[in-house]
Amino acid sequence: MLSETTTQTTTVVEPEAETAQEAAAQARVEQLERGFGDPYDPDNPTGVHALLEADEAAEISEAGEALLDEVGLNADFVPVQLGGRLDRLDTLARVMRSVFRRDVTLGLGYGATSFMAAIGVWTSGSPRQQRELAAALLRGEKAAVAYHELAHGNDFVRNEFAAERAPGGFRLRGAKEVINNADRAEVLSLFCRTSPVPGSRSHSVLMVRRSELDPARWRTLPRYTAVGVRGCHLAGLEFDDHPVPESALVGEPGQGVELALRSFQVTRSAVPGMAIGAADSGLRTAVRFAVGRELYRGAVMQLPQARITLAAAFLDLLICDCLSLAGTRAVHLLPEETSVYSAAVKYLVPKILNEAMYELSIVLGARFYVREGEFGIFQKHVRDLPVLSLGHAGSAACQATIIPQLSRLARRSWFIDGPAPAELFRPRADLPLAPVDRLSLASGRDSLSASLVAMVEDLPSSTPTERVVQGFALRMMDELRQLQEEALELSPKDRTALASPASFALADRYTVLLAAAAVLGVWYEARNGADAFLADPSWTVEALYRLARRLGQKLPEVPPSCAERVQEEVLRRFREQRSYDLYDARLTV
Amino acid sequence: MVGLDGAGRNGEKQGRTRYRLAERVEEYLGDPADAGTVFSYARCIALDEREEFPAEICRGLDAWGVPEYYVPAQFGGRLDDYEQMVQLMRALARRDLTVAIGHGKTYLGAACVWVAGTREQAERLGAQIRAGRLVSLGLTERGHGSDLLAGEVAGDRDGAHYRVTGEKWLINNATRGDLLTLLTRTEPDGGPRGFSVLLVDKRELAADSYRCLDKVRTHGIRGADISGISFDGALVSGEALVGAPGSGLETVLKALQLTRILCSALSLGAGDHALTLALDFVRERVLYGHRLIELPKTRAALAASAADLLMAEALAVTAARAVHTLTEELSVVSAVVKYLVPTETDALIARLSRQVGARAFLKEVYARGMIQKIDRDHRVVGIFDGNTQVNLSSLISQFGVLGRAYARGGGDAGGAAAAFSLGDALPAFAPERLSLIARTGSGVLASLPDSVGVLREAAARSETGGGEPGSLPGSLRGALAAAELLCESAERVHAEIAGRRDPVPAAEPRAFELARKYALCFAGAACLGLWARNRDAEAQAGAGTARHLWHDGTWLHAALDRVLTKLRGPRRVPDTGAAAAYERLLNHLCAARDRGELFSLLPLALAGPTTDRRARAGGTPC
Repeated sequence: MLSETTTQTTTVVEPEAETAQEAAAQARVEQLERGFGDPYDPDNPTGVHALLEADEAAEISEAGEALLDEVGLNADFVPVQLGGRLDRLDTLARVMRSVFRRDVTLGLGYGATSFMAAIGVWTSGSPRQQRELAAALLRGEKAAVAYHELAHGNDFVRNEFAAERAPGGFRLRGAKEVINNADRAEVLSLFCRTSPVPGSRSHSVLMVRRSELDPARWRTLPRYTAVGVRGCHLAGLEFDDHPVPESALVGEPGQGVELALRSFQVTRSAVPGMAIGAADSGLRTAVRFAVGRELYRGAVMQLPQARITLAAAFLDLLICDCLSLAGTRAVHLLPEETSVYSAAVKYLVPKILNEAMYELSIVLGARFYVREGEFGIFQKHVRDLPVLSLGHAGSAACQATIIPQLSRLARRSWFIDGPAPAELFRPRADLPLAPVDRLSLASGRDSLSASLVAMVEDLPSSTPTERVVQGFALRMMDELRQLQEEALELSPKDRTALASPASFALADRYTVLLAAAAVLGVWYEARNGADAFLADPSWTVEALYRLARRLGQKLPEVPPSCAERVQEEVLRRFREQRSYDLYDARLTV
Repeated sequence: MVGLDGAGRNGEKQGRTRYRLAERVEEYLGDPADAGTVFSYARCIALDEREEFPAEICRGLDAWGVPEYYVPAQFGGRLDDYEQMVQLMRALARRDLTVAIGHGKTYLGAACVWVAGTREQAERLGAQIRAGRLVSLGLTERGHGSDLLAGEVAGDRDGAHYRVTGEKWLINNATRGDLLTLLTRTEPDGGPRGFSVLLVDKRELAADSYRCLDKVRTHGIRGADISGISFDGALVSGEALVGAPGSGLETVLKALQLTRILCSALSLGAGDHALTLALDFVRERVLYGHRLIELPKTRAALAASAADLLMAEALAVTAARAVHTLTEELSVVSAVVKYLVPTETDALIARLSRQVGARAFLKEVYARGMIQKIDRDHRVVGIFDGNTQVNLSSLISQFGVLGRAYARGGGDAGGAAAAFSLGDALPAFAPERLSLIARTGSGVLASLPDSVGVLREAAARSETGGGEPGSLPGSLRGALAAAELLCESAERVHAEIAGRRDPVPAAEPRAFELARKYALCFAGAACLGLWARNRDAEAQAGAGTARHLWHDGTWLHAALDRVLTKLRGPRRVPDTGAAAAYERLLNHLCAARDRGELFSLLPLALAGPTTDRRARAGGTPC
């Protein structure tokens, strides 16, 4: 996936043409779905019943891990140049979505954690480190991202775990806490204080091999128990003056914070899109209930409120996928701008998914509360999903990344910059490798919002539905202008931890606007495409309606046919077992 | 055994002494943070992990005499004041919802008999309850949930007996309980008059004619006995019939009006607990070189939560008193309360969890993982006794009556005034006045113009320096502005619902949206009514920090601002200067915590010193 700036030319690909990249992504998803098998088969070791049991026992599914070993899922975290399969972040999110659809514990505990640990080495490690890590992952080893210290949480610049200079390298001292796979990962990516001076140049990242450590000078701390992802191995690590060689250093000394922030841009963009899979299962479970359940002499599905709630959840998933798509593809196409986009994805997507699960739980009624049986998996997803908003990229931390950049964007970018390339919005179009050396901690450019402004001029307006879309686009543009005015008035204090609630609200609105821009962009590019549902502006109208409502805008009348079209699609995808996202992927192969 | 200075009926001091009951149970139970007490947080967490029923804790509640309060006074118990009952259940829920629900379910089980049973039946059941017998309510079935008309458990007449066949599922205490009020289909064709309630004593059934079903594993209240019972031609005496044959559905719906109001106590207790845990956390935790409570965003989240909790309390207290004074309108009151309070409390707990972050997700790092437990436990409150859909549908079915009554000033405004006036003695609850429809509208909403009038007058007085002693000139201006905005919203909502005829339960989403807004207007009207009727007494004679909340309309302004925010969306509420009220609210929140008082509109002391002594010595910031 990674490249230095050499492969920049983007080739425009017709959306309909199935490229080699697209074929490979589809095949990978199908391979996983085939491997996982029928979720409702009671004898399936990776079906919902077995996964619930594993969760009850606080174990990660053994059958699930065996399957992912067999499939060689780790290859998806290793760049193609290093012998893996990782060439596109949107594909990674799409493939991992199949795992999260089954089990967030497997998704994180088997997969995403290793990817998060590896990304710093892919962006900043030496060729030797990259080869070593790639080999370990491709052998099926796990990597752990040992950044977190409970005392400092999101404020990782104050982390204390120390790597003190010693002859020939460093000595490690201190503890890391709540680290996924701390007790079993072969590769540890350690975020260490290498200077006592306060500030952002005092940390470095070290990569060490568990098998090379001296058991007398380090140990694994006991596992934590948590309300969700109960099977994940969340444990701690403690080092007692453990020597490590100079060669463990990833990147330059003192570069740790910068490396972390750069890595976050990639992980924040990609991981929320994976989690859409868990909400997909939540929605599927609720539809299954609504279709099968009789209340008041008819299926629950016949109650308008239930139909609307299910359709609303589907729209939320589409909105999340549009933003996630733009976020992941931006790492390839607009690397300078991803600091803001990745924070927006990581902030908004988990928030929307958790809210959608709450609404779906109301449809399930008492069945939501039961931890067993046909619908028991739902509460597991409810408990698992919030983990996405924690850790070193918590919601507040993501907003805090956005807030200080708003006034600069308001001054220099909005209504000035040109739009994003069309490929940003095409789920099945090829991408060049990601030029990770161009990821920038703050850029002051925002092409995604510029696309919104540009589309206002360009949107078709021949049908009533298209005119409604156009109306929404206009409102969103007005919203951007209002946001610009308010962002220009932010005080310098608002760029710190002491930022006012109003500035957090501004960041929230901005992320919703970015989601609206992504929705518009995806439809604009899909409107002549092969996917009839995505081409029809019905979903766009309904999705923009939801976003406008989230923004507190005055809501227009919309053609009732739009909601009906979305509701039909919810049912079709349930019956045909298709994914609730932009890909409409077949889930039984 | 039971100290009872709270149940006196002799007039003026009742408002003050009413809360003694909840305080006395607090004293009896001791400091929950002390792992040595029977009803401690540590034990509740451990029981939840093991999915074990809190039997010893419940025995302690029995010994103190809590079951006395599940039995109305006229049937030999001590229940004569539902406001007191709410505070009692809230005190239990604040410690643990599994206990509050597992124990309090006996009231739910018995309510049908209080509403429709004969005196003899009620006295006999009362004696059993007072002797520690558990009663459960057998309502829901595996395939039908809240759709009571689809119930299949049959009660076929067989001479002097009923023969009961079928299965009730997801029943609290179905296995542990001795008695069960059972909704049975007594006419094969069913229909609104086709069901009857039977009071079944499991001990009197032939052993092979019924069996209890396995405990169901649940998301929260994991220790509770949520199971089921299956009958196979069980022979039940004809004397078990509660009310007239065919009156079962009506009886159940009336009984649920009472229990739905009491459910608010469960939410208040959970909200109290979560707010305290989050407050302690943000006052201690240092991030970015600041204590979290110094960060404006955290302050705003805590203050909004505090205001939400007071709004819920105002609504719950009004509703509990309305059991006595607005009995004919409980179909509206109970639906509003049962929808709004659990839903808002779910959101409150989620917001407070976010302030605590990873420590709310992990089990042993902060407060033993209590926040995630409260979150899981409380989710059941929105589900049982009629879920969100059911309660909103109930409001929708009454739209026409409510809308038209509002336009002509209908609704029992006198009953509402009596509900608001905390110092007044409550008339005895008269179950025969319960009705399935509030035929004359809502007195709480009818009181809105009067309450705003009182506020307007007080605001005018304060402008000219004639307000309450020590108040700032103009201090009520903002609350008044918020109240006027609420009136506008209430006008619009009523105008729209008056003209609607929605099919229930197949109503359109717009109807659900309006029902939600109606509930919020109702909550705002309850806040205003309560303030208008008590501000003088509470601000002058109240005790502890609660008194300060009443000064300068502090709690009212913040609570109304929250109602408006939920009604209109955050960006559509004009600035009424609520920021100052929130800031004062936060200070009161910290002060109440430091003094070991409940954060409440009412003076309620808690057991045990509650702010960490070390933190206080170091001057915990607020």
